[in-house]
Amino acid sequence: MKPILRISDLSTRFFTKSGQVNAVESLSMSIDDGEVFGIVGESGSGKSVTARSLIRLIESPGKITAGKIEYRNAEVADEIEDSNPEAVDGDYVDLAALPEDVVRSLRGPSFSMIFQDPESSFNPTLTVGEQIAEAVEVQRRASSNPRSVKSRTSSSAYSLRSYAYGTIMPNRSYVSSESKDRAVELLQQVGIPDPEERVDEYPHEYSGGMLQRAMIAQALAGEPDILVADEPTTALDVTIQAQVLNLLRDIQEETGMTILLITHNLGVIARMCDRVGVMYAGEIVERGTLSNIFDEAVHPYTKGLLGSIPDIGSAGGRLQPIEGNVPSLMDEEMGNRCYFADRCPKAMKTCLEKPADLSVDGAKEHEVQCVLAKEEYDESDALDPGQFEGEDS
Amino acid sequence: MSLKDTLRSAQPESSGPLVEVRNLEKHFYDNDNIIDRLLGNGPVSIRAVDGISFNIHRGETLGLVGESGCGKSTTGETVLRLQEATDGSVQFRGDRVFEMNGDDLSEFRRNAQVVFQDPYTSLDPRVPVGQTVREALDIHNIGTKTERNERVRDLLERVGLSEDQFDRYPSEFSGGQRQRIGIARALALNPDFLVLDEPTSALDVSVQAQILNLLADLQEEFELTYLLISHDLSVIRHICDRVAVMYLGEIAEIADVDTLFESPKHPYTKALLESVPRAETAERDRDIETLQGDVPSPRNPPSGCRFRTRCPEVISPNSMDIDQHVYRELMHFRELVENEEISVHKIAQDAGISESATELDSREQKAFVETVKDEVLDIELPSSHESTVNDAIAHLVDEEWERAATELRSEYESICETSNPQLTDDEQPVACHLYK
Ligand code: SF4
Ligand code: SF4
Repeated sequence: MKPILRISDLSTRFFTKSGQVNAVESLSMSIDDGEVFGIVGESGSGKSVTARSLIRLIESPGKITAGKIEYRNAEVADEIEDSNPEAVDGDYVDLAALPEDVVRSLRGPSFSMIFQDPESSFNPTLTVGEQIAEAVEVQRRASSNPRSVKSRTSSSAYSLRSYAYGTIMPNRSYVSSESKDRAVELLQQVGIPDPEERVDEYPHEYSGGMLQRAMIAQALAGEPDILVADEPTTALDVTIQAQVLNLLRDIQEETGMTILLITHNLGVIARMCDRVGVMYAGEIVERGTLSNIFDEAVHPYTKGLLGSIPDIGSAGGRLQPIEGNVPSLMDEEMGNRCYFADRCPKAMKTCLEKPADLSVDGAKEHEVQCVLAKEEYDESDALDPGQFEGEDS
Repeated sequence: MSLKDTLRSAQPESSGPLVEVRNLEKHFYDNDNIIDRLLGNGPVSIRAVDGISFNIHRGETLGLVGESGCGKSTTGETVLRLQEATDGSVQFRGDRVFEMNGDDLSEFRRNAQVVFQDPYTSLDPRVPVGQTVREALDIHNIGTKTERNERVRDLLERVGLSEDQFDRYPSEFSGGQRQRIGIARALALNPDFLVLDEPTSALDVSVQAQILNLLADLQEEFELTYLLISHDLSVIRHICDRVAVMYLGEIAEIADVDTLFESPKHPYTKALLESVPRAETAERDRDIETLQGDVPSPRNPPSGCRFRTRCPEVISPNSMDIDQHVYRELMHFRELVENEEISVHKIAQDAGISESATELDSREQKAFVETVKDEVLDIELPSSHESTVNDAIAHLVDEEWERAATELRSEYESICETSNPQLTDDEQPVACHLYK
């Protein structure tokens, strides 16, 4: 089957006062329908920017500067063909080639996103139920007439907050009793106790874990094809995290929804995902199934990450940290070499040339962006550890 | 004598624990709420730490683990007297910390230091880092200025920075480097005891590993004793010798680290360990029995055992013949009745009872009871328990909450509600009625 999402050579850059930041660098991958794909990385790896690029939540001074984000949906392709023929290729629509307002109109029915911090996606002055019901209405209108959604949400202000609020009209009542009933149903589905009462409460009356569930309910309201979950459990306590992960698993199983999960936590990846991409300095450096990554890792960065986690199964011992720090991603500092070379214990002279990017279509296989994928480590060829001195502190 | 030796000529060694905490309490009073003030309500007490006792032995690392709001950070700050305790005592080398003043107190402050979680906010952005590290030496007026600067350079090297970074500002450092600076600052006075409050929680995992290794090295080199506060069970397992698990201001269980992770006793410890997702392929297929509900508010903690509202092992009354799962669900149902958290009107509607009906006939009554059981209780009740529960639910028709609650209570009340279990006095102290 053809993938539901096909990303090729995506680059997202931020043009800041102090220079150009290459947050996502020529990234390619594809995700199958119904798959849970995880992206794992540390801060500054570009994992969140990747997720936000998909649904065009990149704020100025950020910009997608290259690449395609192709989403497979015959109906949407059909609808969009007239106004934006250049973005359509068969069943696929290239989101990167669409105007912002059209991408925004796909939020809800095609994509939804959940975040680490549910407070930012709820308007504190409206009840939780009103906000979920509004998301239900957006879905209804979108499925009857996509253009109406477009015109209603074409404000120019653009932030995470306005993404959330953008789908919500600031009026204090339910549009229809059906949408309220659906809101109750959704709250029930995500395990909110006593949803008939809770639907009328305000966000601050919910605990953190419950608000996270409510955000998931809101994201489900549009019955999206793809759920983008950006660190969905990072702010939660571990017993609540376990509840929310189980909930996401159940929902995925019931609905067959595709999930793109972004996290720094390899345990969460292992619990949730079919396949994983490991990101470093704006690139996916290794990609494969869970066992490819956890049991057969090749890339020294992946190995380093795994070696850094203290093992809950045994005490003591020394951890194997990755020395040094994450690079700055400033364009002029990046050079054209393997971005991990300054921290890599296996760096060789050949690493001063950039290893080839991962492919889009080889996506099913275990792929590694590192010379070690093709040749053995040769100590006599090792890079002088002083090579990068002075490059960073 | 070098400055280092001056600092080292510390105290005569005595035997016994380095730190002894007894019945420590820290309550906050919260009446900042305008509505409370308008209504003239008295302050609400929040029992952040509610009567805990433990020892920390010389050279060991004791871990305090628990979820947010369990009181672990408040415990650390109160032990150091950075917050004033409400009650209880802390002894440091046998001296009562809360009664110290003058020289004693200043001596204690030299010997007991803290490293905070957030390396971004805990350093003053306008002060060069060398000066930050030196500050304690300046305050305690130790050595000459040259000696102090030399000691600071030494410390910077020791924590993995370089001495020529003395004059740099915090903004020039990464998160991990700032945490190293925070550690150097804590070490300046050559303390015996460090409280590490979530020292790696703000760091990426590769950098966290560097800091954990550093802490282990420093402990060995300087014979330090640590109180490590963390929510991360993997970190706890990795560096602690003994661990205390906290829940809602109390200690649920204390044990040495292997015992705690390999044979936990307290149902909360078990649940906590089970909840952590592991970075291994088998994780996908692991069956995780998650805890129900949220942590209750410390303003209004449950009676008896504080964990009872979520405990999967809550104890049924003596000699009651009931499946644990059914009993657990009944307890949860009782909780809803006690808190009047069932939407009676919605249920009446679902049961097909018209809104104008004043008196229900027996058919409607029955429909109501069945609907409650269906929508709220959601388990098959064994016939032996059916009539009690049905009778109680029937009171809800008239919204007689109290009556329903009382009837259920008289039948199903658990020892876990009526009595707060105390820590057992044995090798693996645990506060749970299952262990006596
Ligand atoms: S390409 Fe070279 S430097 Fe980069 S990760 Fe592979 S071995 Fe290390
Ligand atoms: S005392 Fe009762 S409620 Fe508390 S942990 Fe033990 S069994 Fe559970």
